[in-house]
Amino acid sequence: MKSLPNYLQTQRKRLSLSQEEVGFLLGLAGMNKGNKVCRDENFAREPSLQDALAYEVIYGRPVRELFAGRYQQAQQNVAARARILNFRKVRKPDVRKQEAIIQLADQASINSSNQ
Amino acid sequence: MIKNKTVRILAIAPLSRGLGYAVMEGSDKLVACGNKAILRHKNAGALAWVEKFIRFFQPGVLVLPDVNAADTHRAQRIKILHRQLLGWAKQRQFKVKLISVTQQRERLLGNPKGTKHAMAKMLAEKFPVELGKRLPPKRRPWMSEDPRMDIFDAVGLATTFWPPVR
Repeated sequence: MKSLPNYLQTQRKRLSLSQEEVGFLLGLAGMNKGNKVCRDENFAREPSLQDALAYEVIYGRPVRELFAGRYQQAQQNVAARARILNFRKVRKPDVRKQEAIIQLADQASINSSNQ
Repeated sequence: MIKNKTVRILAIAPLSRGLGYAVMEGSDKLVACGNKAILRHKNAGALAWVEKFIRFFQPGVLVLPDVNAADTHRAQRIKILHRQLLGWAKQRQFKVKLISVTQQRERLLGNPKGTKHAMAKMLAEKFPVELGKRLPPKRRPWMSEDPRMDIFDAVGLATTFWPPVR
């Protein structure tokens, strides 16, 4: 199953907070603080790293859980690139580096089979 | 066969005021739930909302109540809406699961003659954070049904979809 891009709305409702209140906690300025939160929740806007970390603090859940869909996508992209890197010929083979790349390439397939 | 482990479901409970909806990812993860009141052109409005929910949540299975089951008596409008939903799902090759009231009560309460309020209470205990505050008071004979019951109907359908944990 492909995760939703984010689970911000689920977590906000769990805490019974309004979008306006979350906007204030994020430190958003202006009259329509809730609008940005609304756009984040409806996948219309990608929050900045600062906002993503603030969401983690507010909801008490790791960023990779809050933005599960985005995390899955990033993981798959990294794994695909790691596979390419694995096939590249290097002059000086480094065992540690090779192991790290193989692990990265395998990680996505392990996680997708677990979900 | 539907692999229950890896699927997101959307349960829709069409009712006289509008519809209740619930989205679940596994038997214990309630992603979203709520109700939508539709005052005019109820069937067209309900269909539009279901389409909107499907676009947003991208579920693998649509769970609907079995309005034509022997144990159910529903209004003609609801039956028409149900037919429209089934037709819409068939057109898009969408998986649909129908659950009857008896199935729902047997699964949730272990008793086919259990009440709606008992079921709502059980669901509120299962999901205290999401539903605890939304549990309406017990309906008396002179009272209309509380609009919040739509949510519990939808969550009940969604919860019944998953096989019981042993």
